[in-house]
Amino acid sequence: MKRALVLASLVLIVLAAGTAAFTQSFSVQLGLNRGPTQPINFSHKIHAGQLGMNCLYCHYGAEKSPIANLPPVSTCMGCHKIAAADKPEIQKLSGYFQRGEQVPWVEVYWLPDHVKFNHKRHVRAGIECQSCHGPVQEMAAVYQYPSLKMGWCVSCHRQKLDDPVHPATMDCVVCHH
Amino acid sequence: MSETYVFNRRDFLKLAGIGAAGAISGCGHRPAEKLIPYLIAPEDILPGVPYWYASTCRECPAGCGILVKAREGRAIKIEGNPEHPVNRGGLCARGQAGLQGLYDPDRVAAPMARENGAWRKLTWDEALKRAGERIGDASRNRKGVALLTGHETGAFEKLCGAWAAGAGGARLAYEPFAPVALREANRRTFGQAAVPYLDFAGTHFLISFGADFLETWGSPVGYMRAFSEMRARKDGGTFVAVEPRLSLTGANADEWVAIRPGGEMALALGMAGVILTEGLGPALSDRGTLADAVTAFTPEEVERGTDVPADTVRRLARRFAAAHPSLAVAGGIAAQSEQAVALHAAVNLLNYVAGNIGRSVRFDRTLNYDTVAPVSELQNLAGQMARGAIDVLVVHGANPVYSLPAWAGFSAAMDHVPFKISLSPVLDETAERCDLILPSTHPLETLGDAQPERGVYSIIQPAMQRLPVFDARPAGDTLIALASAAGFGSAFAEGWNEYVKTEWKALHQRFGAGRDFETFWNETLAKGGVWEEVSAPSVTWQSAPAFAAPELRGAGDLALVLYPSPVHYDGRGANKPWLQELPDPTTKAVWGSWVEIHPETAAKLGVRRGDAVKVETEAGSVELPAYLYGGLRKDTIAVPLGQGHTAYGRFAQGRGVNALALLPPAQDAASGTLAYLVAKATVRPTGHAGTLVLAQREKEQADRAVARIIPISALTGGPREPHGGARAPGEHPAEGEKPFAELPSQHRLGHDTEPRLKPPGEKTPAHALTAFVPEDTVRGPRAIPIRQGSYANAKHRWALAIDTDSCTGCSACVVACSAENNVPVVGPELVKRGREMTWIRIERFEERLEPGRSDVRFVPMMCQHCGDAPCEIVCPVYATYHNPEGLNVQVYNRCVGTRYCSNNCPYKVRAFNFFDYSAPEKETFAFPEPLNWQLNPDVTVRSKGVMEKCTMCVQRILEGKGNAKDEQREVRDGEIQPACAQSCPTQAIVFGDLADPESKVSRLSRDERGYWVLDELNTKPGVTYLKKIQREIT
Repeated sequence: MKRALVLASLVLIVLAAGTAAFTQSFSVQLGLNRGPTQPINFSHKIHAGQLGMNCLYCHYGAEKSPIANLPPVSTCMGCHKIAAADKPEIQKLSGYFQRGEQVPWVEVYWLPDHVKFNHKRHVRAGIECQSCHGPVQEMAAVYQYPSLKMGWCVSCHRQKLDDPVHPATMDCVVCHH
Repeated sequence: MSETYVFNRRDFLKLAGIGAAGAISGCGHRPAEKLIPYLIAPEDILPGVPYWYASTCRECPAGCGILVKAREGRAIKIEGNPEHPVNRGGLCARGQAGLQGLYDPDRVAAPMARENGAWRKLTWDEALKRAGERIGDASRNRKGVALLTGHETGAFEKLCGAWAAGAGGARLAYEPFAPVALREANRRTFGQAAVPYLDFAGTHFLISFGADFLETWGSPVGYMRAFSEMRARKDGGTFVAVEPRLSLTGANADEWVAIRPGGEMALALGMAGVILTEGLGPALSDRGTLADAVTAFTPEEVERGTDVPADTVRRLARRFAAAHPSLAVAGGIAAQSEQAVALHAAVNLLNYVAGNIGRSVRFDRTLNYDTVAPVSELQNLAGQMARGAIDVLVVHGANPVYSLPAWAGFSAAMDHVPFKISLSPVLDETAERCDLILPSTHPLETLGDAQPERGVYSIIQPAMQRLPVFDARPAGDTLIALASAAGFGSAFAEGWNEYVKTEWKALHQRFGAGRDFETFWNETLAKGGVWEEVSAPSVTWQSAPAFAAPELRGAGDLALVLYPSPVHYDGRGANKPWLQELPDPTTKAVWGSWVEIHPETAAKLGVRRGDAVKVETEAGSVELPAYLYGGLRKDTIAVPLGQGHTAYGRFAQGRGVNALALLPPAQDAASGTLAYLVAKATVRPTGHAGTLVLAQREKEQADRAVARIIPISALTGGPREPHGGARAPGEHPAEGEKPFAELPSQHRLGHDTEPRLKPPGEKTPAHALTAFVPEDTVRGPRAIPIRQGSYANAKHRWALAIDTDSCTGCSACVVACSAENNVPVVGPELVKRGREMTWIRIERFEERLEPGRSDVRFVPMMCQHCGDAPCEIVCPVYATYHNPEGLNVQVYNRCVGTRYCSNNCPYKVRAFNFFDYSAPEKETFAFPEPLNWQLNPDVTVRSKGVMEKCTMCVQRILEGKGNAKDEQREVRDGEIQPACAQSCPTQAIVFGDLADPESKVSRLSRDERGYWVLDELNTKPGVTYLKKIQREIT
């Protein structure tokens, strides 16, 4: 009897732990309102918020390409050759530029290979960057704002199914191909 | 009850197992990766946007124009250049597989020298110094330097000539199947040492004496396109193939004349004789002399020598003379005998007396084989080498150790050359015998040019930076550097790129039209080259050589036909996995070689399919698996060339045998070319089984009517018959009967295909999960009314129409599909078990294989995107469903791998990932670095346990729709092309929108020849096939 109880409880505990671990493994970590440490302490709050720069000034690929590009280091240097050139973080940046090294930014948003997201289509349909990326203009360090789970994508797509100008699609193959 | 509980071993293991499973899955967090931006962004380049570079294909001498697609700095796809005059958009399988030459994991990584039998890596400086000293030494001391290359044209050809002259040495270009004999025959008969332009498109009656012009001979892609144009004409031409073995080209013929091997010349002369004696054809002043030359070849005499009935000779001759213009073409192995020039001269005579010279045979846009040397000159070189007269041998783009039989002496003579340099990018058989390897870059990462035809100046430009993993340099740069190191470099420009540009300055003078050179150069790079109309010199008949038929030698009773593989050509394709796994268009065999034997001959010998047999000639013997093929004469066997490499990388090595071992020493005395059609052979069973891997085992369709034909007389020009033509041919639809165009699933969007509706009043069975859902809801976890959203808003109904009359079976689409869609290559063992992964295959059906009218049909088979798909209803997880635009979609991340869909698919077009082909750590990894650099980032690389299949290139559809949206217009018909349709040299595959009644695919789908494969299953496919036309033989 005792043997059965011990076994049953052990099995339950292990299963529960396993299930929790498994579901965690494919969901994206949530609620961490803090981004990874970047090689340069770049602040979107200053650039997009205080200075009010257009997102597309740096991420100019977002409206032309499926991929919203990171700005080339030369784009940063366009201003920072002069602007705030004495600040230590900017000196880090110009150090990279002078050495001819790329800045090894740490990825914040990631989608698996079986999801194909197209920035261009969303930007051109008038979706604001903030609708997905959150209030970037208030983020000192950018963190992953949405869950990036499929349900999150679909909830928006479902609302815009019958949008007269830019109807969204619920067709799986549009993202999964 | 106070028993102490002790874990026994079994319980412990069970629990540990569960715990471990949890732990493993719990550790699945992917470490954050680094995102590396550009330091300085290149102008006009955006990550995620493909760029196209116009270039020239270097996989065979034809020199087709190509467009190379590059993403993020990597070449990922090759397509034909629609504006290029040679191929006009199509590209063959070999051309597309060029990418795998670029990303070949077995490329030489750095310069290497052979020291004490082992390879040692050198720096370029070291290697060039070492080589330069030897070359300088040899050229100063007037010892021999020889430069051996493959077929080269343009600037590189000029550089080679100048280089050899500078070194005071010999220069030779060798190309195994180059039509050198034709060049020689034309020199003798017309005074033009050139390979003429053949106007297939305008021909009314085409007769081929062994020329495999749809496979390897001449300019196959261009010929294929022209051939299909000839067929598509209202008064379409007839095609008669004269050959002992029904090749892929012959399979497309209306009539097969199964001539005795070597009898082709007699038949051509016999036909010419009939035309002359019966007074057919145009009036010629030299009729009398010509008639005298062919008096010996009366139809009866021809019958005795060739087994072609005298009546057939007369019939063909009359038909040939009556068509204006007609065209006779000789080539392939028939024209590689000891009497090659005689055959070409005979066919020239036939064309001449029928008045075709200057019409279908013209010397305007001649193929450029001007500098290619015959094998006799290579033998001379080998002789010099053996005598010790050559001190330094430099080899580039040729592999004579593999592509010449041992008796030619080249391989043995290499031992007598003190210093041998190879510029080969891979360690092929010749490079392996060299002392120093100076690896060249691949043409896709090199600048250059080519002049494949007269008046065509084609650019070769790099589509990407040189692969960093291979420290290779352009062959031109290496030659120039060698010249400098050897002390004769002052004659050359600084580097290869400057050399090419200097050459183009002259073309700028001619084509520049007032623009400065940079503008002209950039425009040329964008276009792929410049071309001009050229005029044909008028030619007259000069003299005929002595006509003699080749005698086959040896004790055997079977004539041996060795033919270049349509897949591997002379063997240069063998290191490309796509090509190794591409089924041979005739036998459907992969990853090896075989001997084709007529079933009756095989029965006499007691040989069954797959048995290993010993094929023996007076020169040697090889062991090959037998393939029983009815498209052969009973006294003939055939073996493909191109396999049996002893080096050349992991994919080529040890596959099949090199049948050149069967060739006795023989060449055509008049042209010096190697004779491939020369031997008789014996075949003996060995008693054990051979390795024959067939991708399609049966070539019969029983009564399935997968591939259908329609007699030309039954074509009415009316609309398609409903129900796939169950009615007798020619019969008209009954009054009131719906014509085909109103069949529901092909034009009503979504409605009839998705969702599967419950008939009114029917109760849902308790166990039903998928088959019945309430009215007005789609199948899915959440209910969305069917009249809303995607299905209601769908504007397109994508579909394919495939004209089986145009399909030649060339299989270019198969490689195109694999390249576009990241389809893994699985290897012979898995193909044997039916686990090949290709999304499209060319099914070959041999309805009748007999001399006269043979009937071979090709059906490109891919997912049929059924309107009422059997796969969709059986998937327990909705991983496969019908999308609003008519595509049958497979969602990889939903798939759990039950394989029910594949079981339920009547077309067998679904491929299951039995192994992890995408995981680098697995043995089954299909893309060893850097082959994986070719992968298309727009398409998911599938993992183990997932079903996959044709998507109609949905990534291209989305791109096309996106482009249309960006420009605020509708999608144009023909704008979107899946990879298969794009690559098709004959444009047999047409993609488009059925919702647009005027689209090309709509018109073709309504064509009277249209039918659906297995339409009795009511799957309502989205792929409509057009019946092959059976033409009259007159």
